[in-house]
Amino acid sequence: MSTSTHILIAVLALGSLFLIVRLVRLKALKAKYSILWLTVGTSLAVISAVPQILDWSAEQLGIWYQPTLFLLLAIGFLLLLAMHFSYELSRIENRVRILVEEISLLKEKIEKED
Amino acid sequence: METAAIIPAFNEAESLPSVIREIKELFPDHLIVVVDDGSTDETADVAKKFDCVCLSMPFNLGIGGALRLGFRYCLDREIDYAYQFDADGQHDPTQISSLLSELENSDMVIGSRFSTDYSYEVGQSRKAAMNFLRFLVRIYTGQKFTDTSSGFRAFRKPVIRLFAKEYPVEYMDSVEALLIASKNGFKISEIPVQMRERSAGQPSNRNFRLVYYFLRLLIVLLAGTRGKKKE
Repeated sequence: MSTSTHILIAVLALGSLFLIVRLVRLKALKAKYSILWLTVGTSLAVISAVPQILDWSAEQLGIWYQPTLFLLLAIGFLLLLAMHFSYELSRIENRVRILVEEISLLKEKIEKED
Repeated sequence: METAAIIPAFNEAESLPSVIREIKELFPDHLIVVVDDGSTDETADVAKKFDCVCLSMPFNLGIGGALRLGFRYCLDREIDYAYQFDADGQHDPTQISSLLSELENSDMVIGSRFSTDYSYEVGQSRKAAMNFLRFLVRIYTGQKFTDTSSGFRAFRKPVIRLFAKEYPVEYMDSVEALLIASKNGFKISEIPVQMRERSAGQPSNRNFRLVYYFLRLLIVLLAGTRGKKKE
């Protein structure tokens, strides 16, 4: 990996770690999601500190151009993340629906008592 | 034995009063449950002028969501028989009694628009869609239905209990509901009914959306109409 990529990844890693910690402290990000992002940030940091890891694993997998491995992992991670969000969204939609039902039933009850 | 009419209504202030009045005239002992599906017109106000229950949802959830709330209300009130009835006036209240009497033999009764030569006009694409649905439902349930998407149906208490929790909330809910009821081992039958022209309001179908809902329904079918759901 070239020095400039090295530096770029290092900056990205530190930047995202900083942002995550800040968001969690501001309570803008739930701790359960922060774990996910902290893992990403940390692995980025590790890769930028010891780029040989990437080189070595790429070689093991028969990937000649190391950044490809990096991109592959990144895309894979994003896909999983998107799936996770769809899952969460479905769950939330369902809960909102149940809440709407409860509200409507309660509203009717209150109006009847008036 | 208490019987309730579930009337989902989305912006039906115009036709709703006559629908309620007609049911009340014929069946004064029926409890009328209007579910206002987040209407932006005076649907709720109109309904409240009558001696009936009006459940107002804070925003539009679609007909499936409205029906599910209706079933939930009926379950809480321990209603024995319930039937769903359209607010746009296309269902004929004189047919309710035949629907209800058929409940003696089955758990769920569908009022079919097509099982006789009663004239009911539908467009080309809708007709094709309905044929396809009929075919799918027949494969899935092993029973032949002539009208899988009819919104004129009656239910016994056990089905009400099921639908209060499991009623499908997306468009084409009627087809999915049929599958769910069949999967749960309920006896479903069909009787011919006559429909009227819609007295007000717009048909809620748009063709390009139909494609999307079709795909969704196909996925539901392939997935075996949802297994055990959490929550």
